[in-house]
Amino acid sequence: MEMERYGTNYLEERKLVKRWKGPTPAIVCLIFTLAIFYATWWIFQDPRGWMRMYTPYVGYSYTRWWLIVLIWMVYIFNYWPFRRAWLEKAHPLLKGVVLTAISVGVLYVLIKGFFEGLVGNYGLAYFNPKQLLKLPGITEFFAIEYAALACLMFAAIASWLSPAWIVACEEAPWQDLRQPAKGISIWLVTFFLSTLIFFMTMHSHMGILYFPWQYFTSIAPPYWEKFANTVSGNFHVSWIMCCTVSVWLVETIWERFPFSLIRRNSLRRLVAFFGIIAIAFAMHFFLYFAQELTWGPAIRGTRRVFAPDWRWLHVGEMAVFFLVPALFITFYCGNWPRKYSLPVNVLIRTAITLFAASLLYIFYYKTSHLFLGTQKGFSHPQQFPMIPTIWLIDIWLAHHWFMDNWPGWKMVPKTADEIARDHAEHEAMLRDIKWNPALGWGIGAGAVAGVALYFVTVWVLPFLYHAIPIIK
Amino acid sequence: MWPAVQDKEEKMAEDKGKTSRRDFLKGAAMGLAGGALATMAVYSYSPWRKRHFAKVERKLADIGVCKSLKIANISETSWFDNATLMGDIKGAGGLLVNQYDYNWPPFGDGTGLGKGSYEKGIAKIKHLLPDRLEEAWEIIAPNSVHPDNAGGYAALLEVEELDGKKRKFLLDTGWSYKWTDECFKREGIDKMLANREIEALFISHEHFDHFWGLPVTLKYDPTITIYVPDGFYPEGLKYVKDSGHKGKLVKVEPGLKKHIPGMASFVFAIPIICRVYGEQSLYFNVKDKGLVSVTGCCHQSIIQFAETAYREIKYENDNLYGVYGGLHISPFEDWDPKYDDLVISLGKYGFEKIGCNHCTGILCAKKFIAAGYPVVRGTARFLSKDTAYLGNGDKISFGV
Repeated sequence: MEMERYGTNYLEERKLVKRWKGPTPAIVCLIFTLAIFYATWWIFQDPRGWMRMYTPYVGYSYTRWWLIVLIWMVYIFNYWPFRRAWLEKAHPLLKGVVLTAISVGVLYVLIKGFFEGLVGNYGLAYFNPKQLLKLPGITEFFAIEYAALACLMFAAIASWLSPAWIVACEEAPWQDLRQPAKGISIWLVTFFLSTLIFFMTMHSHMGILYFPWQYFTSIAPPYWEKFANTVSGNFHVSWIMCCTVSVWLVETIWERFPFSLIRRNSLRRLVAFFGIIAIAFAMHFFLYFAQELTWGPAIRGTRRVFAPDWRWLHVGEMAVFFLVPALFITFYCGNWPRKYSLPVNVLIRTAITLFAASLLYIFYYKTSHLFLGTQKGFSHPQQFPMIPTIWLIDIWLAHHWFMDNWPGWKMVPKTADEIARDHAEHEAMLRDIKWNPALGWGIGAGAVAGVALYFVTVWVLPFLYHAIPIIK
Repeated sequence: MWPAVQDKEEKMAEDKGKTSRRDFLKGAAMGLAGGALATMAVYSYSPWRKRHFAKVERKLADIGVCKSLKIANISETSWFDNATLMGDIKGAGGLLVNQYDYNWPPFGDGTGLGKGSYEKGIAKIKHLLPDRLEEAWEIIAPNSVHPDNAGGYAALLEVEELDGKKRKFLLDTGWSYKWTDECFKREGIDKMLANREIEALFISHEHFDHFWGLPVTLKYDPTITIYVPDGFYPEGLKYVKDSGHKGKLVKVEPGLKKHIPGMASFVFAIPIICRVYGEQSLYFNVKDKGLVSVTGCCHQSIIQFAETAYREIKYENDNLYGVYGGLHISPFEDWDPKYDDLVISLGKYGFEKIGCNHCTGILCAKKFIAAGYPVVRGTARFLSKDTAYLGNGDKISFGV
């Protein structure tokens, strides 16, 4: 009797067949998902809509945690306890409804049961609004906001580490376990690491929310104050969000390149895990510098666009803009282009992503106050582009993972031959990149061009910013 | 091996035989990404990056000099209970809901929290503005959400010119008609307006607690010149008309605007909660003392305001002398580490007299005092809650 595989390798072993030729399926799916986005935005988030969860941070917290629950269900638990046969045969709409409903149920239990109920009542008061309301002078609004803030800061870390263990560490050392043992093992270790990093990066932020500073329970002032030019934990939100984005760039448009070139498993996994962090730090510093180039240096103690804490937060916000086109290219454009060598494909996709993300950024700040009910301007304290961008990403993940890109595509399980051919093609693609003098000269010339590109960008950015008025 | 893969590999081998261009391109793609990423990581937050920052060139605009400035705090209490106000904001859908939709006074239409609109609200009272405000309030109160929680912010500014001539201005005009009128009478503003002693009304921003009490000012002087910052929404501009204004309305563009010798305003194009845009604050250059910054809420932050002054204008002794007004730090007695950044940094600017109140927050005033800053204490009269800052009816002067 064959062992039940649940959704192990389901995503790799499914063939998505276009229902129509050309770009029509991608356009249809885009319209379909945007319609769901806007309807659900109006129901849950929009300050003019029904439930109006956009402030005080509650909708933000749910949005981030939903992303993580989706990752847990698909990447860590491989759709367990759903059987493979059901995944392959059930109608995408049915799968979408059932799996999404489960993800929302898990989300609710996680926030209300685990964070507010368990941790908030028996550990850290700042996870539970009711506990915070016992403080003299605090209003219900800010009790809710502080608790949601703690929750979403935790989510930022989990949104990096949960997929990183799959993408970078390749599930090691539990890759050969069956579900749910594998899922539970990875879930436990990533959750433990997230907790550890939360204490080291966010706990001090929460500790100085109160007067006097909570010196006896958190490091105050926080250790990053001098380096980051702020005591705010947004400094960490910045690099951690860049880590989240880097993980998904590596997983999607980069096809785990360049780490996949390393043949030794342990080395590849180690380099990938820390390489993603290194890429994230490059983004973290550069996107901060980009703001200094356009708006001028930050001034500590000020507000809005000049405040260092907001600048760090905005780094994370900008990074998430990159994720939107990257996921679209992978989910709905078949990771176009594929005809060149892997490095060239990756570079072209990255260039498209950068360009599309810039356009999306401009479009968002020009129009979001008109159709999302947010406030006009870059730096309003209640302007959180990460909510709509992650909300859209959540919908795309549910659509791509749970609904097999319905209605634009039809899912057909790949045959054993097709799976073997995929693996062979992937191997060939990696073998294609071998050391030789031409490659070496290319790397050298490319590196020089990369440095030049950096400085040209630094030179051009202020002019571009002033040439394209985003907010009048 | 699979035929397709084999073909591809053979083709690759063939290419390799002919030319190394393909390998060079592969390498170039890798090098380009690597070179750019490495430079991003190493250079972007290094001290070298500072070479790219433009040197601050001080414009040193001359706004003239005044002899002194006296400020009477008509009201700093915009609402009486934080929990009630924040409960309304949360219940209506949060901090981004259009302020005209909350169903707060004077635009209450009886439909309940978060369901109001300017049009429906003003329709009930427009015919009574600006003269019959008591009748208007009788209509407003039962139709509005928590009418008794509404207070308002307003201050009287008296500028003495070098020749001794005194000139009066109003900064903001409160919220509740009832409370604002009571405060105006307490401080004698009603008579000053009626006697045309007050030259102009500066509205710092469109927020309910600074602007919605406009008919009270117009009741006593409908011809007063009003300066509003650019960014007012159509409802706000219509309210000026609907309130019975017959004088000049000036929309002040972002940037510096000189008014009288030693007095200028500066408009910041910034987004503010409850769907408001733009804030106007005031600078006074006091003879032999330095610059005094006067603000409604200072959403741009006092440090930004001080930095702007440094960049834009010339002032006595190059000294940032004093501050008056709301500094918008913890208006709801909430806190955020970024506010600690402000508390830590403010000392570097060397203000000698800090007259803060309103949205500065009592918590923040206490932190200022704990940091050793020269905060002018208040008397906590007329429903102001704490002596940590200047309360209702308190006065402060600069250069006297």
